[in-house]
Amino acid sequence: MQLTPDDSILFTLLGLPVNATIFNTWIIMAVLAGVAALITRNLRPDVPPNRWRTALEVTVNGIVSQIAEITGRHDPRVLYFSGTLFLFIVTANLLTVVPGFDTPTASLSTTVALALSVLIAVPMFGIGSRGIMGYLKTYIEPSIIMLPFNIISEFSRGISLAIRLYGNIMSGAVIAAILLGVAPFFFPVVMNMLGLLTGVIQAYIFAILATVYISSATAVQPASDTSETTKETP
Amino acid sequence: MSIDWITVGAQIVNFLVLIWLLKKFLYRPILDGIDAREAEISERMGEAAAVRTSAEVKEAEYKAQIAELSASRAEMLENARRKADAERDALLAETRTRLEKEQAEREARRAEEARAFTEELHQNGAQALLDLTRKALADLADETLEQRIALHAAGQLKDMADNLRDAAGDSCDATVLTRDPLPEDVQDRLRDELAAILPDFRLRFDTDAGLSPGLNLRLGGAQVGWTTDSYLSGLDAVLEDRVGRPIRKGLTDAA
Repeated sequence: MQLTPDDSILFTLLGLPVNATIFNTWIIMAVLAGVAALITRNLRPDVPPNRWRTALEVTVNGIVSQIAEITGRHDPRVLYFSGTLFLFIVTANLLTVVPGFDTPTASLSTTVALALSVLIAVPMFGIGSRGIMGYLKTYIEPSIIMLPFNIISEFSRGISLAIRLYGNIMSGAVIAAILLGVAPFFFPVVMNMLGLLTGVIQAYIFAILATVYISSATAVQPASDTSETTKETP
Repeated sequence: MSIDWITVGAQIVNFLVLIWLLKKFLYRPILDGIDAREAEISERMGEAAAVRTSAEVKEAEYKAQIAELSASRAEMLENARRKADAERDALLAETRTRLEKEQAEREARRAEEARAFTEELHQNGAQALLDLTRKALADLADETLEQRIALHAAGQLKDMADNLRDAAGDSCDATVLTRDPLPEDVQDRLRDELAAILPDFRLRFDTDAGLSPGLNLRLGGAQVGWTTDSYLSGLDAVLEDRVGRPIRKGLTDAA
């Protein structure tokens, strides 16, 4: 049983192997960018929006409001980063219902890549907001003794993000495959429905946690409160 | 469960590319469109507020005008009623004047018709009276009216000699005027009678178709007549008694 689409090499490009993870990621990228470009072309303020544009506006506005609730301000860079995380992960997770489509989020390489992106983005946002010294200073607060713990905490965030998403999606796909062999008529359908729900929730959790991390790194914290606000999930 | 670091790197690149693509094709157009629409809505709300303010100002103006009109309504009605009364009075006066004028014209026309009728009646009556008199004289006395009048006048000249001489003054011409020529014997009789009382006068006979039947004697500036006019005036008096008003104006008694 193949647990990860990384092992499925489809073709090579410029001497590099292109596996199903990368290829399916391109498909998702094409779908997202193509649909967005198709709907948002020829936008005019004096023309009432159609239902597709309204759906996109509702989606984007929902993401913006969620980010605003967490960060307390409207930052377009956070929207680009966290919104793209959410849209990519949710699209990938929803496409698990397509037969034969190996979702990239079931690959640990993809989730590690996304976690690394968050791991890199958080200090970048923090440095952009507080300056490099201001950001590095947060690692020795409230005491320099906390420096190793803060560093461990920083890396453990990324690891937990990667493992959580990978585990949820991969396990859902594996369980659905196992149940398909045991009871092919009823349980796979139920598991796929649960998988859709789980996929959306995991996308939401991943994006929210990334936003929370970025918000903690960029927020100017009061002197009396130096503890980070994080959300732990099962 | 293994990590393919080449795939990890490729996925990081893919994710960055996806961020750029969605920023270009999704976030920017949608957010810019929302901002533009909000700006347009805000602009329209501003225009609507301006229009509303203008409408409220207009409403206040119209309410003030309505109040002013209501206040002056009674005065306007009174003025209109007064004007209507004046116009009605003017029309009534004009109509009354026109009716009076028409009535006066009718009365004048009726009076003229009455005058013409009575004039015609007088003439016809006088003519009938004269015709009857002539016929009676011709049938019963074998004489004419003018001859009988001339003879009667000749008989009275002697009694009027002194008056005639005074009236003639320095003149020595006497003229006998009749409507129709007198017979020769009547002329001789008149010439003899006048020569007896006024021997120096030269008598001349003349006719005038406009005269009444009878005889007029002119002596210088004086004139004495024996005509039927006084009798015709008597006919007018009879007719006035019957009709109850003057028959004709300007009718003069016989001299």
